[in-house]
Amino acid sequence: MRRPRRLLVFVLASATIAVAVPVALAATTVITISGATASFPLVELLTHAYSKAQHNKIKFSVSQGGASVGIADVAAGKVNIGDSSRGPASTDPPGLDFYPIAKYFVCVVTNKSNPISNLTASQVEQIFEGKVRNWSQVSGATATGTIDVDSRTSVAGVLTTFQNTLLAGGKVASPPASQFASEGQLQTAVEKDPSAIGFLSDYFALNKKINAVAYNGTACSVANTVNETYPGFSFFYEVTKGPAVGNAEGHFINWIQTSKAAKKLIETNWIPLTITKTVSG
Amino acid sequence: MLDRLRQPWSDNRAELVLGAVACLLALAIMAMIVFVARGAWPTFEHDGLSWLGSGGNPDSQIGAMQNTSTNPPASAFLVHAWPLIYGTVLSAGLALILGLAVSLATAIFIVDFAPPIVRRTMTPVIRLLAAVPSVLYGLVGILVLVPFTAQHLVSSSQKRSVEYVIQLSNGGLGVAVVLLTLMIAPIMTALITDALESVPRPWREGAIALGLNPLRATLAVSIRAIRPAIVAAAGLAAARAIGEAIVISMVSGGVSFSPNPADGQIFWFEPFESLASTIVRDAESINAPALHSTLYAFAALLLFSSFVLSLASYLIRLPMRRYQVSS
Repeated sequence: MRRPRRLLVFVLASATIAVAVPVALAATTVITISGATASFPLVELLTHAYSKAQHNKIKFSVSQGGASVGIADVAAGKVNIGDSSRGPASTDPPGLDFYPIAKYFVCVVTNKSNPISNLTASQVEQIFEGKVRNWSQVSGATATGTIDVDSRTSVAGVLTTFQNTLLAGGKVASPPASQFASEGQLQTAVEKDPSAIGFLSDYFALNKKINAVAYNGTACSVANTVNETYPGFSFFYEVTKGPAVGNAEGHFINWIQTSKAAKKLIETNWIPLTITKTVSG
Repeated sequence: MLDRLRQPWSDNRAELVLGAVACLLALAIMAMIVFVARGAWPTFEHDGLSWLGSGGNPDSQIGAMQNTSTNPPASAFLVHAWPLIYGTVLSAGLALILGLAVSLATAIFIVDFAPPIVRRTMTPVIRLLAAVPSVLYGLVGILVLVPFTAQHLVSSSQKRSVEYVIQLSNGGLGVAVVLLTLMIAPIMTALITDALESVPRPWREGAIALGLNPLRATLAVSIRAIRPAIVAAAGLAAARAIGEAIVISMVSGGVSFSPNPADGQIFWFEPFESLASTIVRDAESINAPALHSTLYAFAALLLFSSFVLSLASYLIRLPMRRYQVSS
């Protein structure tokens, strides 16, 4: 008769947990977030720090899925906050507020063995729009032969930012350009291919494995993005349904935009904002 | 009450429980079909079957979909997926032919020719290979095979000859076929080995006694006897190759181009995309309604093709039953 008693203990214990955990959680507020994969590392840092600062009275549940997913989720009321790596678009559902939380930028990159220092705006356009196809036509290039243009799949937010800023509204021609599903894959491809050219967000572009190219004589760097002399930048946004004022989401977003602790976290890999305006979508 | 639960089950109760589990599985499959069909319906509604045809570039057609609003017009659903369907069939078909040859040769060697020690080591190794997750093959492809192909196999004059159309720099058909073959060959080898081992020894020994050399005896007797098993193995492998998404999205070159066999050697370096790899690559924007239904339509086509495959392999096996090993 020992087995059933053990079973009874198990049943009682699980029942206790099942009742006690929701009661304990009820004392805290849970903010749900979904959206951009690009800003996920930053949002995760911020949410952990904010929970700690609030003595765990605020908890977060953060999931990825892409900027469009976050925007659709928050519009449908499935989550409290949507993450976006792009600004409001005309096709977004109405009634959303976009709060910028940090700035990021996009660099044109080449292989280490082809250390081009600068490309003009028209050179970048000609290469990525498929008009110039040979490195011999690009001054300053040490690579020879056909240019291998590496791009992202058409759904990527970084591609949108690149086309809107550095390509001045032009489109990457694909084919011939190869399309990669993630920034990591594109980075690997440029790293391994001496005649490759591509574009990456700062988090992936500014490291020793890859050559970041200056644009119109302006280096692709944090300093030049802060003073906005480098044009290839965009923002990460927190998106809410209706203005985030006076509620838990509002306090969190306000903390990101104004507190020194949040600024320090953003500075680890991204650029904090000097402006804290809202863009209504 | 608990004591009663721990007593052995009556046949009646066991039958009920097992039946319920079986029904649940059937229900789950039915539910999946309904779910995929419902998601895919808008594409069929607006495009009919014309989305299976060719015309335009599916990459840009799918790209345009992500900018459509929540209630897209019928024109937003426009897609012509033929290059993707062609890419799927081409890569899976070539891998199947190559894989079948490799796995038949390996299985024959293991069962009828290898010394016992080799057989004892190879059998578990092949079973292990059959269980390797496909993303590992993708990594090998992207880190080793793709750079090797681009730097040593493709010549710069070949690249230049097509530079205004496509690039030959990021893998392509050849690399994808090699990796798919590596992926499906171990499964086929394991299944064919099992089948060969179930062929009664006297059959083959009799053939040898009648004067056939060992290889001819295997081909004439054992292989003939296990033809249904070979077809079944090929069916399974084809289904895996057609549905493979990760490997192809990593090494296919990232452009939905249709490789043309008339291009000679370049054919093997030409980029392509398959239905499954497109689903993986574009799932990030799946909440855009037109894109959502397009990806579901691709999924429905994959589901349909797996039914066709299993039906075809059943029908092919029917006339082969005459000489089948009774196992």
